[in-house]
Amino acid sequence: MDIFLQQLANGLTIGSMFALVALGYTMVYGVMRLINFAHGDMVAASAFVGLTIYTQVMGQATSLPAVIAIFLLSAVCMACIGIILERVAYRPLREAPRLSAVVSALGASLVIQNGIMLIWGPRMRIFPELVPQVYWDFGGVVISLIQVIILVLSLVLMVALYLFVEKTRIGAAIRASSIDQDAARLMGINVNRIIALIFIIGSSLGAVGGLFIGLYYRGITFNMGWQYGLYAFVAAIIGGIGNIPGAMLGGMLLGLFNAFIAGYVSSTWADAFTFILLIVILIVRPTGILGERVAEKV
Amino acid sequence: MKQLQRLGYPLFLGVMAVLPHLLNSRWQAVAITFLIFSVVALSQDIVLGKSGMFNMGQALFFGMGAYTTAILNHQFGWSLLATIPLAILLPALFGIILAGPIVHLRGDYLLVTTIGFNIVFVQVLQNNLGGITGGPNGIFGLDSMSLFGWQLTSQVAVYYFAFAVLLATLWVMHNLEKSKAGRALHYLREDQLAAESIGINTRVYKIFAFGLGAGIAGLAGTVYATQYSAVSPEAFDFIQSVLFFSIVIVGGSSVPGVLLGVFVMFVLPEIFREFATWRFFIFGFAMILSMILRPRGIVPATFGKIPKFLIKDGSHGA
Repeated sequence: MDIFLQQLANGLTIGSMFALVALGYTMVYGVMRLINFAHGDMVAASAFVGLTIYTQVMGQATSLPAVIAIFLLSAVCMACIGIILERVAYRPLREAPRLSAVVSALGASLVIQNGIMLIWGPRMRIFPELVPQVYWDFGGVVISLIQVIILVLSLVLMVALYLFVEKTRIGAAIRASSIDQDAARLMGINVNRIIALIFIIGSSLGAVGGLFIGLYYRGITFNMGWQYGLYAFVAAIIGGIGNIPGAMLGGMLLGLFNAFIAGYVSSTWADAFTFILLIVILIVRPTGILGERVAEKV
Repeated sequence: MKQLQRLGYPLFLGVMAVLPHLLNSRWQAVAITFLIFSVVALSQDIVLGKSGMFNMGQALFFGMGAYTTAILNHQFGWSLLATIPLAILLPALFGIILAGPIVHLRGDYLLVTTIGFNIVFVQVLQNNLGGITGGPNGIFGLDSMSLFGWQLTSQVAVYYFAFAVLLATLWVMHNLEKSKAGRALHYLREDQLAAESIGINTRVYKIFAFGLGAGIAGLAGTVYATQYSAVSPEAFDFIQSVLFFSIVIVGGSSVPGVLLGVFVMFVLPEIFREFATWRFFIFGFAMILSMILRPRGIVPATFGKIPKFLIKDGSHGA
């Protein structure tokens, strides 16, 4: 029972990180029908940018305002990179064959990943301890302050995003663009601006996710983006890609599944089981759990 | 252009035939690597380029062929030559079994599923399932190839073996293009709905393409195992699959394009060794740039006898 509760807590923590990153994938996919392979590497880049802001700008301060500043600055940096990425690598290819955009995304991923390596070096770096090491022991189940912060902050961001997309005028424009770009344009929506906005939101959320990964796992490497990015992407697909609540649900499910496999079976098999789960879900429900049935080509 | 192609192929093959005698042993090894990866990339082209299915797991079949050869040779003492039929059949069979339930998935979902298969495969190798894959270190020390009693120990012999495999692959692809199956795959890629409505059993042909591509990749795996006389899991990681995928799209899914892509990805880095750490950084930019400038690839595949004006942009894939 202790293992169960412990893995439940761990799974929810990991799951909320997956969900945050998955939102970036799902929003870009929703509007542009493009797998943004570079998103995972942006998440990794955010951890390194946060590390540098901590050592160079904040003078290694771990006070609350300094930590908030690290999060905000990293998010702004990533949002800028997101906009540049969209302008340079994706906008020229909107009318091109779909696979060209996929390869362009893979190229962008290589550029960011190896850019990190060239700037910060190929070795693992240790992420700073921004949050004090506080643990609570609930009869054998240990929960850390970091876990609580990650879970609560992720939930707050996700609820805020959900309300933004569902309740505001800009949110309605986003939803309209994801249903039909041309029709949205005819209704006077500036689709280019919506796409830029989506990259800003997705990259900022990914930036927060990257800092969380640094805080939780401590060791960060230049090529970790592919691993976490792929997990987040799987989360988005499991939930039904293009669907914002689906990405949140998918992320949580994937985190829990991963934690329970690691706890009960073996951590060396966790990846394999995750992808077997993905394949089974896609065979049973080809558009994910909350995905709508889409007509192929009319 | 037509003239160039007619001259280009004999010239290329002629140069490749005498190449090992002009190179020292280090560059012979590079040339063998070029041949092996060309065969894998061409097998990827059958699935991705010719049939338009977003397969990003070709390294799985490549690795399965290499491991079949390595396991049969190292654990069971088969001669390398005798492992070839199984190294083709086993990946082909797996290609068919794996493709069966997933080929109907929409493009991007298929892509992620095939990545998933590749990751599961690598984890199986790393966890030493059944105690025969050698775990994370792989299998070392295979025999050398012997043909009717001759020991083919030299690099030149391995080179010609790899060259023969490339020729066989080109021959298969040439025949495929001229055959009924090749035309069916071509229509399928252009417009699946239309292909189905004129009576093409798309499911059977899709699975066929997967099986054929997997078998050829498996054969390339045998050559790989022979060349390095070792196999290890990371050589067949999904990152490799991503490279093969990119090569086919950047090249333009034609034979010259794919060969050019393999040359750029695997041979150029050997020439510019001192820039090794910049390799993927520059490749990333090159991939973006080449897609922006030539969205259909550097040397786009020609579209058989379909008139140009009927081909509209953007119909590529699902």
